[in-house]
Amino acid sequence: MKVDDYMEKHVVPLTALRDGETGIITSVKAGYGKGRRRGGFGVEKRLMDMGLTPGTKVTVIKSAPFHGPLEILVRDSRLALGRGIAEKIFVEVEK
Amino acid sequence: MTKKKLLIALAGNANVGKSVIFNYLTGLHQHIGNWPGKTVEKAEGTLHFKGYTIDIIDLPGIYSLSTYSLEELISRRFIAVNKPDVIINVVDASVLERNLYFTLQLMELETPMVIALNQIDIANRKGIQINVEKLEKLLGVPIIPTIAIRGIGIFQLLEKAIEVVEKKHVVKHVPMRFGEEVEERILKLAEMVKNIQSQYPPRYIAIKLLEGDEEIEREVLQLNPEIITAAGRLKEEIEKIHGHPCSTVIVAERYEIAGRIAREVQMLVPPIKPRLGERLHSLTTHKVTGYIIMASSLLLIFYSIFTVGSYVSDFLNIFLYSIEPLFYNFFGVGVTGKLLWSMMEGMIAGITIVLPYIAPLYIILCFLEDSGYLSRVAFLMDNVMHKMGLHGKAFIPLLLGYGCNVPACLGCRIMETERERLLATFVITLVPCASRTVIILGLVGKYLGVQWALMLYIFNLAVVIVLGRLAFKALPGEPTALIMEMHDYKWPHLKTVLKQTWFRLFEFIKIGFPTIIIGSFTIKLLEVLDLIKPITLALSPITVTWLGLPMITGITLIFGVLRKELMPVMLAALLETTDFTNVPGFGPIQMFVFTLVSMFYIPCIATIAALIREIGWRKALFITVFEILFAVVLGGLAFRILTLISIK
Repeated sequence: MKVDDYMEKHVVPLTALRDGETGIITSVKAGYGKGRRRGGFGVEKRLMDMGLTPGTKVTVIKSAPFHGPLEILVRDSRLALGRGIAEKIFVEVEK
Repeated sequence: MTKKKLLIALAGNANVGKSVIFNYLTGLHQHIGNWPGKTVEKAEGTLHFKGYTIDIIDLPGIYSLSTYSLEELISRRFIAVNKPDVIINVVDASVLERNLYFTLQLMELETPMVIALNQIDIANRKGIQINVEKLEKLLGVPIIPTIAIRGIGIFQLLEKAIEVVEKKHVVKHVPMRFGEEVEERILKLAEMVKNIQSQYPPRYIAIKLLEGDEEIEREVLQLNPEIITAAGRLKEEIEKIHGHPCSTVIVAERYEIAGRIAREVQMLVPPIKPRLGERLHSLTTHKVTGYIIMASSLLLIFYSIFTVGSYVSDFLNIFLYSIEPLFYNFFGVGVTGKLLWSMMEGMIAGITIVLPYIAPLYIILCFLEDSGYLSRVAFLMDNVMHKMGLHGKAFIPLLLGYGCNVPACLGCRIMETERERLLATFVITLVPCASRTVIILGLVGKYLGVQWALMLYIFNLAVVIVLGRLAFKALPGEPTALIMEMHDYKWPHLKTVLKQTWFRLFEFIKIGFPTIIIGSFTIKLLEVLDLIKPITLALSPITVTWLGLPMITGITLIFGVLRKELMPVMLAALLETTDFTNVPGFGPIQMFVFTLVSMFYIPCIATIAALIREIGWRKALFITVFEILFAVVLGGLAFRILTLISIK
């Protein structure tokens, strides 16, 4: 996607949503870390497993103070997401 | 007729009521231990039903069967290798979609299963009604609606599980088909792996290869590397079609199936009443009220555990020590009597920690976790805890560490990964517990002034933060970022909480008591053999030359491993005075250095036992040795710096 497309479709990181706003996930760029010691698949796999797949609706409820984690609603369940990860989830803002 | 044996595994997401069902099924015939060689908790139990002896394993609560965490790997291997006769999949009816995602993965493993559709009461209150027959038909898996917390449906669940075992042919999973582009490639790959020897079914291997599962890839690579190449090619094709990584595509499609099924069987009606849980959630996570509620509830917990605890502990101590004269009367005051009494003393030390502190703490932690409040605290504190390299959940054990390190370390069980557990336990052992507070206030606070004691606490906090961060950086493995479910508030099942507390206590006693008793015995033996003096002499290069302390402090440091709160008393006895203001060779500098070293030098023997239980003896040993070295280096530096300052 070109920059213009981003502008047009309002693709922003999840952290840019205001409280109560909803977006649709376009991509997750958390990376598939190869934590072999833990046999890890990485954060991205975990996010997927929790239901944050592309095309899914996410609502930001609120964020914890002092730059804390985000509270989101996804697939009828309530998740707390660290800000660092939330920055790597890109959503298209729903109007 | 010999009894037939059955193996049933309970599987499901975290916090869906799995343990409650487990407790109903097994009653008191259960055992909570660790998976062999791992520090992941394993709960197993037995029950007799309809002529069967049934072994039940409660698998860890997980969201997926990939290899993200040790828990997932253990569960998957258990299902594939031990091949349970039937799996009871506990599903939270109020979060159907995400739970079905896990169900679909269990079905991929092609094991006979029954679904316990649990918490239907909560779902109903949320306004979700589920058409059970339809769900049964769509999945091809028998379903029993349950309300585990009230014991509803448990009997039918067990009956159904037996029925599934007895009439294997009756149940047949409806095979889940992925989207055409994906399905086609899965079939192609499954055909290729059909002939290789594996514990896993071919279709499962095919799916996992496309998902890029490292464990399966390794296994297949050894057997037939060509398959890996082929899988790589197919993966690329899928990625080209969908524009997302192949594993993402598969997970997304699996979720889509789960979502479609959930939507088909759910009927949404307006919730019966405005939900109290919702309001409670808002209040407890609010930026103002959330912190007020957290601070007051945690202070209350801390205060009640440690005031009531110390009261009970003192009482037990006096009571148990009252048998000392009787004991000596019986065994004599000779060497045997002394040695035997030292073992009794170890036992007493154990009892006075386990009963008043650990038991209530386990109950409270269990309560906080099961009710859902722990995850709210983690939400509020994650950012702060992150500064010292810890997960938000570590806040509660860390706080409790200021009371007593032992239950705090045991409480680290709530951490999700081994890495987080290790980090949290390490940091906790650095925190000054009540016993160390006795030293800090009793020596430095009393003779040098409160400001110096306060300085020690602040310095300690700085050390905790710095070492925590360093350990966080140094430890291999990925830092686990916060991805945590905050499930709806619910009232915990008291019986489950109590039983779990009891079985966990029992596990600790098994390691803790022998360790404490042996420790106490060893030190008494050294004393009886007149070896304490030679040892303190051998330690004198460290204590006298490097730390600048009187040689006899070596004795207190050795005994302090057993009970640190006795160190000032012991020191008084050895220095033959209760007033430390004017002791030659033990001036303010020595007092400060001695307290500083005592604060860090070693976890007490009971904490070491707790560490062994939670992180294994190797890491426990490492932490112990590290802290001894650290305290010695720190103490020596402090001695030199303070001497320099006072000379000026």
